[in-house]
Amino acid sequence: MKGVGKSIAFRLIVAVLAVELASSLLVAVLSLGYERHIHFSSFDAVLRGHADSVLGAVQDADDVSDNVMLDKADVHVPDEDIYEVYDERERLLGRSANWPTAEARGLAAATPAQLAAEASDATSRLKIDGQHYRLILRHGTRIVDPGEPGGGTKHQITVLYGAPTERVWHAIDSAVAFYAAGSILLLAITGPLIAWLLHRGLLPLRQLAALAARISANDWQFDPPETARTTAELAPLTQALESALARLESAFVQQRTFVSDAAHELKTSVAVIKSSLQLLSLRPRTAAEWQAGLARCVADAERLEELVGKMLTLARVENGAANAAGSAMAGDIGTCLSRTASELDSVAALRGVRIVVDAPSMTIHVPIAAEDCSLLVSNLLLNALEHSPSGSTVWVGLEAKPDASPASVEFIVKDRGEGIDPAALPHIFDRFYRGDPSRTRSTGGAGLGLAIVKAIVDHASGSIHLASEPGKGTTATIRLPLCAQSAVEIAADSVASSV
Amino acid sequence: MRVLLVEDEVRLAENLAAAMRDGPGFAVDCAADGLTGDEMAGYRCYDLIVLDLMLPLLDGLALLRRLRTRRDTTPVLILTAKDGKAVIVELLNAGADDYLAKPFDLGELIARAKALIRRGKGAAHPTLTALDLEVNTLEQSVHRNGVAVDLSPTEYRILEYLIHHPRRIFSKRELLEHLYDYNWEHHSNVIEAHVSNLRRKLEAAAPGAEPVIETMRGRGYRLSLETAV
Repeated sequence: MKGVGKSIAFRLIVAVLAVELASSLLVAVLSLGYERHIHFSSFDAVLRGHADSVLGAVQDADDVSDNVMLDKADVHVPDEDIYEVYDERERLLGRSANWPTAEARGLAAATPAQLAAEASDATSRLKIDGQHYRLILRHGTRIVDPGEPGGGTKHQITVLYGAPTERVWHAIDSAVAFYAAGSILLLAITGPLIAWLLHRGLLPLRQLAALAARISANDWQFDPPETARTTAELAPLTQALESALARLESAFVQQRTFVSDAAHELKTSVAVIKSSLQLLSLRPRTAAEWQAGLARCVADAERLEELVGKMLTLARVENGAANAAGSAMAGDIGTCLSRTASELDSVAALRGVRIVVDAPSMTIHVPIAAEDCSLLVSNLLLNALEHSPSGSTVWVGLEAKPDASPASVEFIVKDRGEGIDPAALPHIFDRFYRGDPSRTRSTGGAGLGLAIVKAIVDHASGSIHLASEPGKGTTATIRLPLCAQSAVEIAADSVASSV
Repeated sequence: MRVLLVEDEVRLAENLAAAMRDGPGFAVDCAADGLTGDEMAGYRCYDLIVLDLMLPLLDGLALLRRLRTRRDTTPVLILTAKDGKAVIVELLNAGADDYLAKPFDLGELIARAKALIRRGKGAAHPTLTALDLEVNTLEQSVHRNGVAVDLSPTEYRILEYLIHHPRRIFSKRELLEHLYDYNWEHHSNVIEAHVSNLRRKLEAAAPGAEPVIETMRGRGYRLSLETAV
């Protein structure tokens, strides 16, 4: 299966099975120890019993001295068991028929004296002909003629009794084998069971994925099932998906609207040029008519050029917002304003409008590239000039507010023009929006100037506000954050000047 | 013929108006936004409305719906920069008669405009005939009994207007409304002068025949064809 190693379910199953395997191994080891203990305890008890019965078979010898002997006919023990009986004088009283020879017992065998010194119930192991035996040592006292005066003769009897351990080990092995087999069976059952449970448990995740997979640029429908929203593990993912989709969709719709608006504008501009040219060729023209017509065509082409330029500027400013966010950009709005104002003086003079600049002569850095800074200022000034009647004044103010939070600079452009219709005010920053339909087309505004201004201000995390009174004029107030360095300098300056 | 052009792009409107005045000799009025266009269309003196779709104040589609709601049957030619069949289907279903996508060809626009006007007046062929009169609307030429009649543009327009509805009486006011745009002064005696010139030229082409254009005193003019039979 492809990518099985990367599957969470696969890894979970492997982890669970590994844990299960480890615990069954542990169970096997523990049960081995436990079973061994239990079985050998009872085995020892049996050995002790048998040894005692061997001890019981030690009787008075029929000789004159108070010796003892082992009456084998009295010994009732399993045939495969082995035993040896000594008295306190290390005299062998008797042993089982299958008692191994010295060679078979090996060098490790203890002498009767050593055996006598050991404590009763001591066990030892012995290997005879490849068979393992467990030996137990029993000390016992046999009193010959206890009825005689002096209490008879006491004999210290030592019995060494052994039995093969094969059966015990067999029992232990089968018990452990039972546990092990049980564990393996459990493992075999749990593997597929967990796989099935995980498959079922992960169903909401797959549903979510299937829903998400259906999303395309044309279909933003995303209705996660209620289970996905309420499941603790899936809720964050669902929410993240939903909000990401919402953001994407709005960005996408905005882009699409822009493209469609731009296409409309471009087509209209091309239609103008095409119709201008076709109008010229509609019927024979004089040289003067041709010249005038061509001049109009050139003017139309220039308008198209301007439109394309503005659209590219807007795209650059908006893309810049995405690409160069937070990069070090510091335009000096103070210098920018005075330079732009003097550049536009001739335009203002042509329209009979005066520009009054009220700005401190210092450098005020705002987080806008120098190029965009002049674009911002010139677009606002041109807009104000365009809407100003002849003989009026455009007032431009710049005021640094280093103490504001955050430290900002306020840029105000005030005109005494015809103002903006309150109904149009909310749309004034929309792309291609023209506040005054009957006029702006003829003045060549593509409806992008204020959109560009808004994009620049937004990019700098500033704010723009337009206040307008129809018939009295419009005031644009732009608030831009100061660059940190500039804020410190301006604050220091204002302190110095106030002292 | 009089055409209402509703287009907010000033340069395009200038060019279209110039082309329609120059070519087929329509009288053209321009409106720069939807509301103005709606108001002007309300005078019902237009033989065709050329309507841009994206208009300030009232968009083309809404204007079209208003027209059709008040049972204005004036042919409407839509200019659109929007693509897509859905838009076109919606337009046609809303009562548009034809559409042109920007950027369009001026020649095509004029041809479609003429065809729409023709259809609007119940004629299928660009050559209109009424007994011994033949008016070719493409060449803007007039023949009577096979003899070419040389008419001034205004005279031709009056004849073209009358021949669309033979036997119907057209008042001077109606003729004025349909032949001149707002830039002309409305003097009814201008019409009288043109009609008398037209009548004279048509009679010269067929000496001795009945007069083609009848003057109904106090009511207007009509093409009096039944008397010629």
